[in-house]
Amino acid sequence: MAVTLPPGLSQQASRKGAAQNGLARSRAGGRILRTATAAALAVWFVLPLLPLGLWVFADRWSYPAPLPQHWGLDNVESALARGAATGFAGSLGLGLMVSAVATPLGVLAARSLAFHPSRWSAAVSALLFAPLALPAFVAVFGLNVLLVRLQVPSTAGVVLVLTAYALPYTTYVMRLAYAAHHIGFEEEACTLGATRGQVLFRVQLPLIAPALARAAFLAFLVGWTDYLVTLLVGGGSLVTVPLLVASAASGTGNDGIVAVLSLIALVPPLALLLLMGMTGRRHRGGRT
Amino acid sequence: MPESEVLATRSGQRTAAGPSLKPCMPGVLLAVPAVVLVTVVVGGGSAMVAAQSLGLMPLVGRPELSAAAYTAHGGDLLVGAGLSLAIAGTSTLLACLVGFTAALIIMQGRWCGKLVAAMSTLSVPLPHIVGAAATGLLLADSGLLARVFGAAEGWPAIVGGPWWVAVIFEYAWKESAFVGLVVAGTLATRPVDYEETAALLGAGRLRRLRHVLLPLSLPALMISGTIAFIYSFGSYEVAWLLGRPYPEPLPVMALRLYNSVSLTSRPEAAAIGVITAAVSLGAALVALAFLRKIPLWR
Repeated sequence: MAVTLPPGLSQQASRKGAAQNGLARSRAGGRILRTATAAALAVWFVLPLLPLGLWVFADRWSYPAPLPQHWGLDNVESALARGAATGFAGSLGLGLMVSAVATPLGVLAARSLAFHPSRWSAAVSALLFAPLALPAFVAVFGLNVLLVRLQVPSTAGVVLVLTAYALPYTTYVMRLAYAAHHIGFEEEACTLGATRGQVLFRVQLPLIAPALARAAFLAFLVGWTDYLVTLLVGGGSLVTVPLLVASAASGTGNDGIVAVLSLIALVPPLALLLLMGMTGRRHRGGRT
Repeated sequence: MPESEVLATRSGQRTAAGPSLKPCMPGVLLAVPAVVLVTVVVGGGSAMVAAQSLGLMPLVGRPELSAAAYTAHGGDLLVGAGLSLAIAGTSTLLACLVGFTAALIIMQGRWCGKLVAAMSTLSVPLPHIVGAAATGLLLADSGLLARVFGAAEGWPAIVGGPWWVAVIFEYAWKESAFVGLVVAGTLATRPVDYEETAALLGAGRLRRLRHVLLPLSLPALMISGTIAFIYSFGSYEVAWLLGRPYPEPLPVMALRLYNSVSLTSRPEAAAIGVITAAVSLGAALVALAFLRKIPLWR
């Protein structure tokens, strides 16, 4: 192919190559060390999730017992009684709203930075990354006064603040994608007689789709994982899973409920990730 | 979302297709919505918080410029700042060490790398409050580890103890996955396999690590480490749930004052906010200054 491959593609090719040739292949000692390190890391990442997995199904698990004495699904019922369904809907809605606003804004900003460099570009990037350097609670202390005086509905206020905090991620991801976005592909498609629509749907969109999905996912996570902004700006009108987890975990004897709520917080992002991985693979398979 | 994608790509086509097609508006303006939003939140937020801390926006009475809010909790403020710095610094250091190791393993590919990548993906999308709750269930004196080891009374005070171990552990755990994935992602997008070249030239394992992989990962490591540091420095819920009542890290102290009923406590909370923000900004600037010295950073 005459056009240079974007990094995403060439990287896969080179990694495959590295695994096959003998240069980077390790000796037995190195292999044992690597396996041990990998196992230790896997334990490190999974260990805190282990008690959650056990507590979800523990109807009774009194103190010194290393394993639950009674297994069952009572905790799920208790969690539902504490408003787990409402919290789930609230979290999902918040994540989707933040994603729906922060992704297009990030795309536009990244496009401006990538294709229209001007004397403002440096200032714009610095400003868009500023939320990373300002703790959210500080911004909220200041903004709460403003939002109340302007009578902004609390949910809109939460989305506004969290969108600002998602913008560094969406802009960065899309900026990277556009940096690797080769006009050459489009030009070649045009040379081969593709219409504008074909260029758009068969060349441009497939090329930025993975980055678009990543940006939208990161923005979703900003809404999904937030606790403090929802608490302070939302003022209790917006109930999300993190709020429920906090109230359950700060009390005593709620361990099972905390576990169920935590699992509820883990499943949707993981499902999204799996979905992204699967569709990504299908697209790649289709193109090569 | 699809509509926005189409719109965005369509306007992009117009501009990307070259100088023959004239854009209908200056491309700089595309960034305006994002810039306005961030300016309102970051600019408006910090200006208002500064004004509150200086007594310019009292809940009742006449605005009057004063630094009283900054001096009201002098000793506690210093202790809190030191504690916050220590917690954030230690957990960031651990996160970078573990994260970099994870990135190296992930980069090796094979099943080890895939396993570590999959496991680290588990903790990244979790809310910190969930991580804190899970850490409590693992490390508290009635937690899983205390049960498994049958420690009963002998279990050390990890949660709510004097060394803030559980808080540091939670940050290190979550941020190490973040650092690992960022560094692995950056290493993976290098088009040229420098490590292979170094191996071909006879560099051993340690030399490749020292002279190839570490310099290549340094920018990503510094950026993700700085983000992790600033996040844990200004984060509330983990220290609130797993910490002890006194001394308090800055965000916990700020939130307590913010929710307190006395009239002077709002400006005091705002003052702590201003100090936290100043330290965070300072950390970001120091990191940027270091990044500029790295040859790899353009």
